[in-house]
Amino acid sequence: MPEYESVIGLETHIQLNTRSKIFCGCKADSWEDDPNVNICPICAGLPGVLPTLNKSVVEKAVLLALAVQADNILPISYLARKNYFYPDLPKGYQISQYAEPLARGGRLIIPSADGEDRVVNIEKLHIEEDAGKTVHQNGKRLIDFNRCGVPLVEMVTAPDIRSADDAAAYLIQLRRLLRWLGISEADMERGQLRCDANVSIRILGEDSLNTKTEIKNINSIENVRAAIKTEVKRQIQTVEAGQTIEAWTLGWDEDTETLRKMRSKETEADYRYFREPDLLPIRIDEEWLLEIKSSLPELPLARQKRFTLDYGLPDYDAAILTEERSLSSYFEATVKLSAGDPKTISNWVMNDVLRLIKEKKISAGGLRLIPKYLAEIIEIVESGMITRGTGKELLVNVEDKGKTPLELVELEGLAQVSDEETLKSMAMTIVDQNPKQVATYKAGKATILGWFVGQLMRATKGRADAKIVQSIFQELLDNDGDLGS
Amino acid sequence: MSEELCDLSATEISRRVKNGEVTAEEVLDSTLQRIRLVEGRRPSTNPYSPEGDDRNKVHAYISLTEKRARLQARAIDDAVKAGEDPGPLAGVTLAVKDIFCVHGTPTTAGSKILENFISPYSATSVQRLESAGAITVGKVNLDEFTFGSSNESSAFLPPVGNPWDPSRVPGGSSGGSAAAVAAGEAVLSLGTDTAGSIRQPAAFCGVVGIKPTYGRVSRYGLIAFASSIDCPGPIARNVTDAAIALQIMAGSDPFDATAAALSVPDYFSTIEKGIKGMRIGISPDYHKLKFPDPKTGEMCEQSVDEEIAEALSRVLDHLTNAGAEIVENVAMPNTRYGVPAYFVISRVEAASNLHRYDGVKYGYRFDGEVSNLRELYRKTRAHGFGSQAKLRILMGMYVSAEQYEKGYYQRALKIRTLIRNDFVNAFNPEGPYQLDCLLSATTPTTAFKIGAIYGNSVSMQYADLLTVPANHAGIPGLSVPAGVDNAGLPIGIQFLGPDFSEANLLRIGRSYEKASADEPWRRLQPKVLHA
Repeated sequence: MPEYESVIGLETHIQLNTRSKIFCGCKADSWEDDPNVNICPICAGLPGVLPTLNKSVVEKAVLLALAVQADNILPISYLARKNYFYPDLPKGYQISQYAEPLARGGRLIIPSADGEDRVVNIEKLHIEEDAGKTVHQNGKRLIDFNRCGVPLVEMVTAPDIRSADDAAAYLIQLRRLLRWLGISEADMERGQLRCDANVSIRILGEDSLNTKTEIKNINSIENVRAAIKTEVKRQIQTVEAGQTIEAWTLGWDEDTETLRKMRSKETEADYRYFREPDLLPIRIDEEWLLEIKSSLPELPLARQKRFTLDYGLPDYDAAILTEERSLSSYFEATVKLSAGDPKTISNWVMNDVLRLIKEKKISAGGLRLIPKYLAEIIEIVESGMITRGTGKELLVNVEDKGKTPLELVELEGLAQVSDEETLKSMAMTIVDQNPKQVATYKAGKATILGWFVGQLMRATKGRADAKIVQSIFQELLDNDGDLGS
Repeated sequence: MSEELCDLSATEISRRVKNGEVTAEEVLDSTLQRIRLVEGRRPSTNPYSPEGDDRNKVHAYISLTEKRARLQARAIDDAVKAGEDPGPLAGVTLAVKDIFCVHGTPTTAGSKILENFISPYSATSVQRLESAGAITVGKVNLDEFTFGSSNESSAFLPPVGNPWDPSRVPGGSSGGSAAAVAAGEAVLSLGTDTAGSIRQPAAFCGVVGIKPTYGRVSRYGLIAFASSIDCPGPIARNVTDAAIALQIMAGSDPFDATAAALSVPDYFSTIEKGIKGMRIGISPDYHKLKFPDPKTGEMCEQSVDEEIAEALSRVLDHLTNAGAEIVENVAMPNTRYGVPAYFVISRVEAASNLHRYDGVKYGYRFDGEVSNLRELYRKTRAHGFGSQAKLRILMGMYVSAEQYEKGYYQRALKIRTLIRNDFVNAFNPEGPYQLDCLLSATTPTTAFKIGAIYGNSVSMQYADLLTVPANHAGIPGLSVPAGVDNAGLPIGIQFLGPDFSEANLLRIGRSYEKASADEPWRRLQPKVLHA
């Protein structure tokens, strides 16, 4: 059997997080809202209504085009009608873009599973309105128009992806980018990021494109991976059995992890696209483009790389810290406010701050533990004023109580017991009170030293430096309780 | 018949209402009285055959909104009593073409498919006219979804009769509007013009109609036919009334992206200024009409009716006397392609605009057994749409199909540009003609008999031959009455001007109106008032 290569292109639909819909003033996000509450004559397609374009939809889409280095953001693009009948499409056409999309060309770089970066070319990017939702219940179709007119960006890649894992990696990078830009919540489970995959195979080394199948509406990154793997396997088996691949449209059944044939390509509709006469052309002049460009932040991969160069962070750290924009800014702000070592700060952020963020389900930017406080905590830990353990607790306390670290240290007496004489006298008391354990030590069980250290840490509520305490006990026990006096 | 309140001009009515000489309610009652007198039986979607004196009546109104109108009238009278300004159209009765949504009223588009649709909102034009004090008396008949030039394609029958001879059509598609205004069943009407649908019926019924520049008046709330050419506009009994109505309707609208952001000039500051030195053109292409024969496809030529040509030359005399310079032989070579290009563009847009009528959300739904969704669509649309809508869907779907779209739709769009270039050239201040406006007959014939042409959609479309080029070009056109023919039927002429030249057109129209005020035909009244 020859070695096959899969050829994959992804068509993604990205729900923009604008406040209102694309062509009317209705609330765009209807997650967990009752059906048909966020609708008006315009998005419900009543007779006589007209659409008006929400400017921020264009701005967010252009921002994405800039972020994927689009080769051509068209100075004039057009909206077009895509005509078809469906009960949840109230106008009988979807307002989309066709011959003149908002942007053409571009690329998204994805770190691949084998450690080598891959470039996935973007063919085009356009804006359009979402349709409603049909729910089948007891033999009836129930229609919810809330989603009608929710703004979407459709972004189509070239057939540049070569494995199911790379397809998943592409989506992970895209999701990261969308959240980074703040233009979409990009939650696949909530349909804010949707993916159709075009899949074909060829013998490795060939560069022809063979008949492809299209897998529709896959609702999670893991399902994209699984569906593509399944389809590639099916295509290889089909070809190996001497049959030909037909241009089917397939649906992924999550429960049975199987592909279901939805329709043959021959029956595909003619959408009779024509320019939408109810809307003006979208004109993006130099000035507007510059304005949007000025709001384009440093992008995740660039920042990730810079963190390794500027702060000497391992790539692993840099990747985690730039997973999310707010976290990366948080880290960098802390570094700038602190005299400490960036790697030390990275450890604190990756472990303690990230845990806090996950527990509280907020973003780094929403923490009461602002970078200044984190920098202070790290500083007083490093200076020995408090122990590392106290520092970790303090961090949580600052977040919970909203007080500054120094206030809390003072208020709760957290400063480390660093006076060695005090520690020694406490240690002697412990040794005196526990002859059995002393005997065990004398018998050669040196590991019991830890138990002694623990007793003292308990007595100081963890405010002692464990290393110093250990050496005190060692000296005491080795010298028969005589501390060289 | 003596002149009633409902026969007065809008200016005169609002003056009297503001003064307290008459109440808005009295104007309303006078209008309703006239309606009872001339209207005949109410058009409906029931199976129709002519009976009784159907052919002597107007049948303009699909629905009367008397209760709503009375509330509006009382509010105006209360405002007058309280010393408040009731608006420039105080007490002026308005007939709204049933293609506009009016809040809380049945809005049918003359189609069975919307027979039971009650609009939850008002069109921008309606809302603006009502805010100015106009009283909406009811919704008037039209060709189904405005698809026609005679009013015969409405699902609501009997068809509208021309007040000057009710056995003839009032024109279309704003036939109900023009007929109602001509017969005193309303002082003003709101119509739409996609290929001549304001100007042609205005000409047939002897009233004034203006199709504004595309974008001058918001389309919000106008049920779409061909979105890129539909234009709302007023129909009135004189030029000044049309100007008042347009002044109120015009201007940008946050609900219509294609409504121009340009400010609206004050039409009254110039309307009486005369036309001295203005250059008014006439074109042989608007006299000897060329069109492809429906059967052979060969180009035929036919002149506008002689009586209409004569009327036009009398108009030219008046304009010359008023100081205008007449420019002859203006070349408008692409006029002949107006109708074929319109056939294509309007049908592509119409087919798409009719997609939403599927029986799912509102309007008519087939109530028999269906086995699946497709059948529900098919049966609903088969029973809900009339033949003109179906023809437009079929042709629109055909010429926009992937394999034909380039040959038809894209080509028609190019022709549209050529037609516009004819006008741009004619109006170019540095061009060969330097016209302020182009003058032509509004229609090649006067009103034809009900049933004479209906069914031959190609011939019917040639009623629009002179009017449709302005729709392609997006420019404004004003049709005014210019006499009657030997049968006593009104003749209309139109002034076409460059983009946003409404002020000039109204000024020219008003100038002609004054110059011809003493012509005997001006004292004639529609036959239906004497029945």
